[in-house]
Amino acid sequence: MDITINKLEQKTYVVLDGRVDSTNADQFQKDVAPLMEGENLDIDIDCTNMTYTSSQGLRVFLLLQKSLMSRNGKMVLRNMNPRVKEVFDITGFSNIITIV
Amino acid sequence: MMKKRFNPIKDRSSEIVAFLMASPDMPKDEDVRFKIELSIEEAVENVVRYAYEGGIGWLEAGTSLDDKSLLLTIELRDAGMPFNPLEMDDPDVTLGANERPVGGLGIYLCKQMMDNIEYHYKDGNNILTMKKLVNPEKV
Repeated sequence: MDITINKLEQKTYVVLDGRVDSTNADQFQKDVAPLMEGENLDIDIDCTNMTYTSSQGLRVFLLLQKSLMSRNGKMVLRNMNPRVKEVFDITGFSNIITIV
Repeated sequence: MMKKRFNPIKDRSSEIVAFLMASPDMPKDEDVRFKIELSIEEAVENVVRYAYEGGIGWLEAGTSLDDKSLLLTIELRDAGMPFNPLEMDDPDVTLGANERPVGGLGIYLCKQMMDNIEYHYKDGNNILTMKKLVNPEKV
Protein backbone atom coordinates (compact mmCIF):
# COMPACT_ATOMS: atom_id res chain seq x y z
CA MET A 1 0.00 0.00 0.00
CA ASP A 2 1.55 3.27 -1.14
CA ILE A 3 0.18 6.55 0.10
CA THR A 4 0.87 10.00 -1.32
CA ILE A 5 -0.13 13.09 0.66
CA ASN A 6 -0.05 16.47 -1.02
CA LYS A 7 -1.23 19.64 0.63
CA LEU A 8 -2.29 22.45 -1.68
CA GLU A 9 -3.48 25.59 0.06
CA GLN A 10 -6.44 24.54 2.25
CA LYS A 11 -6.97 21.15 0.71
CA THR A 12 -5.18 17.89 1.40
CA TYR A 13 -4.99 15.41 -1.48
CA VAL A 14 -4.28 11.78 -0.73
CA VAL A 15 -3.68 9.02 -3.27
CA LEU A 16 -3.93 5.38 -2.15
CA ASP A 17 -2.30 2.67 -4.22
CA GLY A 18 -2.56 -1.04 -3.43
CA ARG A 19 -4.08 -3.15 -0.68
CA VAL A 20 -4.96 -2.38 2.92
CA ASP A 21 -4.89 -5.62 4.88
CA SER A 22 -3.72 -7.09 8.16
CA THR A 23 -0.08 -6.79 7.12
CA ASN A 24 -0.09 -3.03 6.63
CA ALA A 25 -3.15 -1.54 8.35
CA ASP A 26 -1.10 -0.41 11.35
CA GLN A 27 1.33 1.38 9.04
CA PHE A 28 -1.60 2.87 7.11
CA GLN A 29 -2.94 4.27 10.36
CA LYS A 30 0.47 5.79 11.16
CA ASP A 31 0.70 7.24 7.65
CA VAL A 32 -2.63 9.03 7.92
CA ALA A 33 -2.17 10.10 11.55
CA PRO A 34 -1.01 13.61 10.47
CA LEU A 35 -4.37 14.04 8.73
CA MET A 36 -6.16 13.59 12.05
CA GLU A 37 -4.79 16.82 13.42
CA GLY A 38 -3.92 20.41 12.59
CA GLU A 39 -5.04 22.21 9.49
CA ASN A 40 -6.11 19.16 7.53
CA LEU A 41 -9.83 19.86 7.43
CA ASP A 42 -10.62 19.27 3.78
CA ILE A 43 -9.36 15.88 2.63
CA ASP A 44 -9.75 14.40 -0.82
CA ILE A 45 -8.74 10.75 -1.14
CA ASP A 46 -8.24 9.18 -4.57
CA CYS A 47 -9.09 5.47 -4.24
CA THR A 48 -8.75 4.58 -7.94
CA ASN A 49 -5.90 2.18 -7.28
CA MET A 50 -6.94 0.87 -3.86
CA THR A 51 -7.56 -2.75 -4.81
CA TYR A 52 -8.56 -4.26 -1.47
CA THR A 53 -9.45 -3.44 2.09
CA SER A 54 -10.15 -5.67 5.07
CA SER A 55 -11.93 -4.62 8.25
CA GLN A 56 -8.61 -3.32 9.50
CA GLY A 57 -8.54 -0.78 6.69
CA LEU A 58 -12.15 0.19 7.38
CA ARG A 59 -11.14 0.86 10.94
CA VAL A 60 -8.65 3.51 9.81
CA PHE A 61 -11.20 5.21 7.53
CA LEU A 62 -13.65 5.36 10.44
CA LEU A 63 -11.00 6.91 12.70
CA LEU A 64 -10.30 9.53 10.01
CA GLN A 65 -13.99 10.30 9.61
CA LYS A 66 -14.53 10.61 13.36
CA SER A 67 -11.52 12.92 13.63
CA LEU A 68 -12.73 15.19 10.84
CA MET A 69 -16.26 15.38 12.21
CA SER A 70 -14.97 16.35 15.64
CA ARG A 71 -12.98 19.20 14.01
CA ASN A 72 -15.76 20.31 11.62
CA GLY A 73 -13.74 19.08 8.67
CA LYS A 74 -14.71 16.95 5.71
CA MET A 75 -13.40 13.99 3.76
CA VAL A 76 -14.29 12.62 0.33
CA LEU A 77 -13.27 9.21 -1.05
CA ARG A 78 -13.11 9.29 -4.81
CA ASN A 79 -13.42 6.71 -7.58
CA MET A 80 -13.51 3.57 -5.46
CA ASN A 81 -13.45 0.27 -7.34
CA PRO A 82 -16.75 -1.66 -7.15
CA ARG A 83 -15.36 -4.54 -5.08
CA VAL A 84 -14.00 -2.22 -2.42
CA LYS A 85 -17.18 -0.14 -2.57
CA GLU A 86 -19.21 -3.25 -1.74
CA VAL A 87 -17.23 -3.64 1.49
CA PHE A 88 -18.13 -0.05 2.41
CA ASP A 89 -21.78 -0.69 1.44
CA ILE A 90 -22.18 -3.91 3.43
CA THR A 91 -20.78 -2.37 6.59
CA GLY A 92 -22.88 0.79 6.30
CA PHE A 93 -19.70 2.86 5.85
CA SER A 94 -21.11 4.28 2.59
CA ASN A 95 -23.68 6.09 4.72
CA ILE A 96 -21.22 7.67 7.11
CA ILE A 97 -18.35 8.44 4.72
CA THR A 98 -18.77 10.50 1.55
CA ILE A 99 -17.91 8.40 -1.51
CA VAL A 100 -18.13 9.99 -4.94
CA MET B 1 -9.06 -31.49 -0.59
CA MET B 2 -5.85 -29.79 0.39
CA LYS B 3 -4.77 -28.66 3.80
CA LYS B 4 -1.76 -27.49 5.69
CA ARG B 5 -0.94 -27.04 9.34
CA PHE B 6 0.83 -23.80 10.18
CA ASN B 7 2.79 -23.87 13.42
CA PRO B 8 3.49 -21.39 14.86
CA ILE B 9 1.07 -18.84 13.43
CA LYS B 10 2.16 -15.58 14.99
CA ASP B 11 2.38 -12.85 12.31
CA ARG B 12 1.67 -15.38 9.54
CA SER B 13 -1.88 -14.37 8.52
CA SER B 14 -0.93 -13.24 5.03
CA GLU B 15 1.02 -16.44 4.38
CA ILE B 16 -1.97 -18.55 5.47
CA VAL B 17 -4.35 -16.49 3.32
CA ALA B 18 -1.98 -16.83 0.34
CA PHE B 19 -1.78 -20.62 0.80
CA LEU B 20 -5.58 -20.93 0.70
CA MET B 21 -6.00 -18.53 -2.23
CA ALA B 22 -3.45 -20.57 -4.25
CA SER B 23 -5.51 -23.75 -3.83
CA PRO B 24 -6.69 -25.35 -7.09
CA ASP B 25 -10.15 -25.47 -5.50
CA MET B 26 -10.45 -21.68 -5.71
CA PRO B 27 -12.54 -20.13 -8.47
CA LYS B 28 -10.90 -17.88 -11.06
CA ASP B 29 -13.56 -15.18 -11.11
CA GLU B 30 -11.97 -12.09 -9.56
CA ASP B 31 -15.15 -10.77 -7.94
CA VAL B 32 -15.76 -14.06 -6.15
CA ARG B 33 -12.09 -14.39 -5.22
CA PHE B 34 -12.19 -10.94 -3.62
CA LYS B 35 -15.07 -12.00 -1.35
CA ILE B 36 -13.42 -15.30 -0.46
CA GLU B 37 -10.06 -13.69 0.26
CA LEU B 38 -11.62 -11.06 2.48
CA SER B 39 -13.54 -13.70 4.44
CA ILE B 40 -10.47 -15.88 4.84
CA GLU B 41 -8.35 -12.96 5.98
CA GLU B 42 -10.86 -11.89 8.61
CA ALA B 43 -11.31 -15.43 9.95
CA VAL B 44 -7.57 -16.25 9.94
CA GLU B 45 -6.68 -12.94 11.54
CA ASN B 46 -9.14 -13.71 14.35
CA VAL B 47 -7.34 -16.97 15.12
CA VAL B 48 -3.84 -15.52 14.77
CA ARG B 49 -4.63 -12.60 17.06
CA TYR B 50 -6.87 -14.08 19.68
CA ALA B 51 -6.94 -17.89 19.76
CA TYR B 52 -3.65 -18.45 21.57
CA GLU B 53 -2.08 -16.51 24.35
CA GLY B 54 1.02 -14.86 22.92
CA GLY B 55 0.14 -16.17 19.47
CA ILE B 56 1.91 -19.48 20.08
CA GLY B 57 -0.09 -22.29 18.51
CA TRP B 58 -1.16 -23.89 15.27
CA LEU B 59 -3.81 -23.38 12.66
CA GLU B 60 -4.82 -25.94 10.08
CA ALA B 61 -6.22 -24.42 6.91
CA GLY B 62 -7.85 -26.40 4.13
CA THR B 63 -10.05 -26.16 1.07
CA SER B 64 -12.27 -28.64 -0.73
CA LEU B 65 -14.68 -28.62 -3.62
CA ASP B 66 -17.77 -30.83 -3.98
CA ASP B 67 -18.06 -33.38 -6.80
CA LYS B 68 -19.86 -30.97 -9.09
CA SER B 69 -17.38 -28.17 -8.41
CA LEU B 70 -20.23 -25.99 -7.26
CA LEU B 71 -19.53 -25.58 -3.59
CA LEU B 72 -16.20 -24.46 -2.14
CA THR B 73 -15.51 -25.28 1.50
CA ILE B 74 -12.81 -23.60 3.55
CA GLU B 75 -12.00 -25.09 6.92
CA LEU B 76 -9.96 -23.49 9.68
CA ARG B 77 -9.05 -25.50 12.74
CA ASP B 78 -7.15 -24.45 15.84
CA ALA B 79 -6.60 -25.68 19.39
CA GLY B 80 -6.84 -22.29 21.03
CA MET B 81 -9.38 -20.96 23.48
CA PRO B 82 -12.88 -22.20 22.67
CA PHE B 83 -14.48 -19.31 20.82
CA ASN B 84 -17.54 -19.23 18.61
CA PRO B 85 -17.24 -16.08 16.47
CA LEU B 86 -20.78 -16.60 15.16
CA GLU B 87 -22.18 -15.91 18.61
CA MET B 88 -20.94 -12.33 18.52
CA ASP B 89 -23.66 -9.74 17.95
CA ASP B 90 -23.72 -8.23 14.47
CA PRO B 91 -22.69 -4.57 14.44
CA ASP B 92 -25.42 -1.97 13.99
CA VAL B 93 -24.54 -0.82 10.46
CA THR B 94 -27.11 1.99 10.59
CA LEU B 95 -25.29 4.03 13.25
CA GLY B 96 -23.65 7.35 12.37
CA ALA B 97 -19.86 7.82 12.38
CA ASN B 98 -19.79 9.28 15.88
CA GLU B 99 -21.80 6.42 17.34
CA ARG B 100 -19.98 3.63 15.47
CA PRO B 101 -17.54 1.67 17.63
CA VAL B 102 -14.14 1.11 16.02
CA GLY B 103 -13.72 -2.53 15.03
CA GLY B 104 -15.95 -5.60 15.27
CA LEU B 105 -16.64 -5.83 11.53
CA GLY B 106 -14.48 -8.80 10.54
CA ILE B 107 -16.81 -11.71 11.24
CA TYR B 108 -19.79 -9.69 10.03
CA LEU B 109 -18.02 -9.31 6.67
CA CYS B 110 -17.42 -13.09 6.53
CA LYS B 111 -21.10 -13.73 7.16
CA GLN B 112 -22.08 -11.34 4.38
CA MET B 113 -19.50 -12.52 1.83
CA MET B 114 -19.85 -16.29 2.28
CA ASP B 115 -22.98 -18.37 1.67
CA ASN B 116 -22.73 -20.40 4.85
CA ILE B 117 -20.56 -20.38 7.98
CA GLU B 118 -20.61 -22.98 10.73
CA TYR B 119 -18.69 -23.32 13.94
CA HIS B 120 -18.07 -26.51 15.89
CA TYR B 121 -15.95 -27.29 18.91
CA LYS B 122 -14.68 -30.84 18.77
CA ASP B 123 -11.84 -32.76 20.44
CA GLY B 124 -10.44 -29.54 21.86
CA ASN B 125 -10.45 -27.81 18.47
CA ASN B 126 -12.28 -24.76 17.16
CA ILE B 127 -13.51 -25.64 13.66
CA LEU B 128 -14.81 -22.88 11.43
CA THR B 129 -16.27 -23.98 8.10
CA MET B 130 -17.08 -21.39 5.45
CA LYS B 131 -18.87 -22.31 2.24
CA LYS B 132 -19.26 -20.40 -1.00
CA LEU B 133 -21.20 -21.33 -4.13
CA VAL B 134 -18.94 -20.98 -7.14
CA ASN B 135 -19.78 -20.94 -10.81
CA PRO B 136 -18.10 -23.93 -12.48
CA GLU B 137 -18.20 -22.09 -15.83
CA LYS B 138 -15.67 -19.67 -14.46
CA VAL B 139 -13.53 -22.09 -12.48
